[in-house]
Amino acid sequence: MKEKKEPLVKLYRLIQLVLIAIVIYFIWPHISNVVMILAIVFLFTTILLPAVDWLEGKIKSRILAVLMLLFFLLAIIVLFFGSFGVNFYNEGKEFSQNIDKEKVAQTLEKMSQATTAKLPGFIKETINEQTKDIDYTARVGKIVQSIAEKFTAFAAKLGTFVFLLFMTLIFTIILLYEYHNFKKSLVSLISNRYFEISLKLISQIEKQVSGYLSGQLLAATSVAILSILGLFLINTLFDANLSLIIFIGVIAGLANLIPLIGPFAGMIPAILIAILNNIQNPAAVEHFFFIPHIIIMFIIVQQIDNNLVSPVVVGKSVGIHPIVVLIALIIGGNLMGPIGMLFAVPTVGVMKVVFTEIRWVMKNAQYL
Amino acid sequence: MKSPIWENIFKGWNKEKESDTVLTLKQVPIFADLTEKEFTQIEKIIHKRNYKPKEFIFKESAPGVGMYIIMKGSVDIVINSSTEDETILATMKEGNFFGELTLLDEKPRSAAAVSRENSVILGFFRPDLLDLLKRKPSFGIKILLNLASIIGDRLRDTNEKLGNFRRGKK
Repeated sequence: MKEKKEPLVKLYRLIQLVLIAIVIYFIWPHISNVVMILAIVFLFTTILLPAVDWLEGKIKSRILAVLMLLFFLLAIIVLFFGSFGVNFYNEGKEFSQNIDKEKVAQTLEKMSQATTAKLPGFIKETINEQTKDIDYTARVGKIVQSIAEKFTAFAAKLGTFVFLLFMTLIFTIILLYEYHNFKKSLVSLISNRYFEISLKLISQIEKQVSGYLSGQLLAATSVAILSILGLFLINTLFDANLSLIIFIGVIAGLANLIPLIGPFAGMIPAILIAILNNIQNPAAVEHFFFIPHIIIMFIIVQQIDNNLVSPVVVGKSVGIHPIVVLIALIIGGNLMGPIGMLFAVPTVGVMKVVFTEIRWVMKNAQYL
Repeated sequence: MKSPIWENIFKGWNKEKESDTVLTLKQVPIFADLTEKEFTQIEKIIHKRNYKPKEFIFKESAPGVGMYIIMKGSVDIVINSSTEDETILATMKEGNFFGELTLLDEKPRSAAAVSRENSVILGFFRPDLLDLLKRKPSFGIKILLNLASIIGDRLRDTNEKLGNFRRGKK
């Protein structure tokens, strides 16, 4: 009797799965934002939970601990991005107002000539032929116009972003405050047979994920500090006129959370600032706007991070294969753009920890 | 003027009725000397589970995660379970507790625990104790001290028995 039933049960389960997939496919566009918020909230909660637990131990009130920590972090973020954002905006505005398109075009032409002069003869001739008809003034105009258009599009998306940010903050407060009760309610749904092993699994996952994420944050902090020091050195030794170095350093640290692409992305603000600040400085043009200096500095910072800092703070326990990292970055980028890329690797890290633990459980299934 | 509405609203205000869970916890020496507030907090992190007759609470050699307190029913502590050599080492009754050593380490269980009848069992687990130590250190230390005192008593008891045994042999 049982044998006759099995294929039917399998078919029933298959139909169930297909139906679930269809439902998810149709409702995904409506729930993708909520899923993204929940994923981010979970990551924030995992990172902040040890600090909230510690603070609760000191001040004896969990809600106060959650609010104090979040408002402290928010204050830092708002102050940081507020002050540097305003500075950056002012600099950009000043640049666009004062920029003498003719002079910039001349500078670019001069730089292009200086570069080609250093190249071997045959390449020089080819380049000269290709570039003789380029109208640099028109090109600079087009670039400035395209930047302005992108800023307008960005402002339109800012409204949605602020709303999502607000929701993320509210959910994070609730989850941080109710985390232990929430976990207990979830655990209560597990059957007696898997109860102990699930508790062990959850505790292991929490420990590993928290260690992995705090390790990543420590590594990012070290990259930020090293980049700030490096930029300061470039300013002091070569008089590079780089401003907003703390802002650039922090962006480099954050970008470092995205492996492979991050380190290069981290250089972009520094290079942009170097060009913005030195565009009308002939001495800087000689040094190619100090771009080589900046690139070398970032490569040194990366080497220090990869060989000294990361092995100590992140550890090799959650090492992910570079190909998996690339695939995760492509999927993350496709799903949610730069934010998706930022969260892709931590998410894969979390999934790896979960799968390692589940494999352990399956190996020890005789105890269930 | 007395209003029945207000009297009813504030009836029992500030007077929390002790739950069955707290009453059971009060019988366990590990939670001795805790304040009422601390008992309420322990109640929040403790897991209440229902077991059917012959259902395993944990199996022999499984990695230990925490201790259990019997609220209702009874539990057999068994070695070589589900084999011909199955031996019942002890039968635990309401208010008894077992598995407390796994609060200190995660060594495998030396015996299995099987529910004899429909039982309600409270579980207190190592990850929750570690959380408690982080969040409320003075409270967590109270529990650890009680646990150390129980283990100390048992060690003294074992030493005494070993002494008696040796003396008997001579």
